Formats: sequence, C-alpha cells, structure tokens
Amino acid sequence: MDEVKAPAIEEAIDYTGAKLGMWLFILSELLLFGGMFILYAVHRYKSPGDFHHASTELDVFLGTLNTIILLTSSLSVAVSITAIQKGERRLSIVLLMVTMALGLLFLVNKGFEWTTKIGHGIYPNSPTLLARSKGEILFFGLYYVMTGLHGLHVLVGVCVLCVMLILIAKGKLTQMHFTPLENAGLYWHLVDIIWIFLYPLFYLIT
Amino acid sequence: MENGEERIHLLKYRTYVFVWFGLVCLTMLTYTVAVGIHPGGWAVLVALAIAGTKSSLVLTYFMHLKSEKPLIFKVIIPLVLAVFLVFILLTFSDVVFRGVVE
Repeated sequence: MDEVKAPAIEEAIDYTGAKLGMWLFILSELLLFGGMFILYAVHRYKSPGDFHHASTELDVFLGTLNTIILLTSSLSVAVSITAIQKGERRLSIVLLMVTMALGLLFLVNKGFEWTTKIGHGIYPNSPTLLARSKGEILFFGLYYVMTGLHGLHVLVGVCVLCVMLILIAKGKLTQMHFTPLENAGLYWHLVDIIWIFLYPLFYLIT
Repeated sequence: MENGEERIHLLKYRTYVFVWFGLVCLTMLTYTVAVGIHPGGWAVLVALAIAGTKSSLVLTYFMHLKSEKPLIFKVIIPLVLAVFLVFILLTFSDVVFRGVVE
C-alpha cells in the first residue's frame, strides 16, 4: 500500500516545487527587464523632449495591434491550460496552436516595424541616427534593445509552447499531469506583462 | 495523482474572457489618455498606473496567484518589487542630485 501512496505525495511536493522554481525564474527575468526600465527612466528624465520627439516616429497603430494580439494570446493559453485540467484535450491543443500563431503574428508585425525603421536609416550606429541629438540616439538604442530582447522572449515562448503541444499530442501531458504546460503558460504571461509596460513607455510618450 | 482536483481551483472560461475584455478596455484607455487627452506632467504616472492595473489582472487571474495556496507565492512578488524599488530610489537619488550637491 505504501507504494501506491508514495507517488501521490511525491507529485504534490513536486507541484509546488516546480511552480516555485518557475516563479523564481520569472522574477529574475523581471529584474533583468527592470534594470533596462531604470536605464530608460534615467535617460527619459534627462532628455524628455528628445524622447517625446523620437516616440512620435514609432507606429502607434502597430504597437496597439501587437498589444491586443499578445493579450489575446494570453487568454488562449490560459483557457488551454484550464481545458487540459478539465480533460478537454482537443480544445487545449487547438488553443495552444492559436497562441503560437498569435505569437508568430506579433513577431511578423515587429519585423515590419523594424524593417520600416531600418529602411529609414534608423538602426543602432547608423549615420542617420548618429546625426541626431543624444536623447534620440538613446531612445532608439533602448527601443531596439528592449523590444529586441522582448521579441526573443516571444520566440522562445513559441518554441516552449510547441514542445508542450508535442507532449500533449503524445499523451505525456494529461488531465492529471499538466504542470509543465502551466509553467509554460506562466512564461507566456510574463512576456505579456513586459509588453504591457513597453507599449505605453515607447509608443505613447506625450 | 488523486489530488489532481483538490489542489487546483479551476476558473471558468467566462472569467478569463471577462479579464481579457478588461485588459483590452484598459489598453484603449491608456491609448485614449495619451493620444486624445494629453495629461502633460501626469502622463507617465497615468500610463504606469494603467499598466500596473493590467499586470495585476494578469498576475491574479491568468497566472493564478489568486488560487495559489502556499504563502510563499504571495510573499516573493512584493519582495522582488521592494528590491526593484530600492534600485530605483538609489539610482534616482544619484541622477537627480548629481551636480546639485557640491
């Protein structure tokens, strides 16, 4: 009888441990982006006019659209996790695919945005950018680094969700064992939260 | 294995859709305030307040902090935010007063 009870206890401990580990990782990621947000705050404090001027050149429509896309992908992954917990495997798989598609759509929009900017000669260390004022150079530097690192996180998130999709399809993640999917979801929501702050700070400076 | 149901408090799909709708409304609000109203000096504070509200919605409902039982989940986030606040205060106490106090 002991052998029957043991796995249940083990999994209960494992559940909290796995979640806690994921949360510690997420919080370290928040501090990583937090450092860059402080850098942004210092430079915006020092040259508010330049930041405002440079911000008006960003595509607010694409920024807003991408915000809605990420928020919707957060919804689909959250429902996907609940669906697998309820045993609705098919719904869970479909919603994971929707989440990944939305993540890729976000990156495509980001790609268009960057390509347009680079087409106008605005990219780190470009002659056009270096001819501008110091504050604007810093704004676009921070824009490329912060949205770039965020985009990398989106890409990693899509890959992680893809692995989860395969695990569900293979029957490795089930109604009884779904913690990896939950942790992948936490990571995806973290990416969403970071964008929630990036959006007003880069696109909506007035 | 048997504790699968008791350890998780499942939210209704409808709740998630409501939260999502709230998030989209707040996005529209932050856009309208910045583009339509121009709150001047308050702009950053308003933007950060709305972003903070959106984040707490995501944390509470999407990231299930509301239903996490162990106390540690409720402690680590304020702890990290406090550390972050110390970073901000130390940095700005340098930036703002550099050159002022000679």
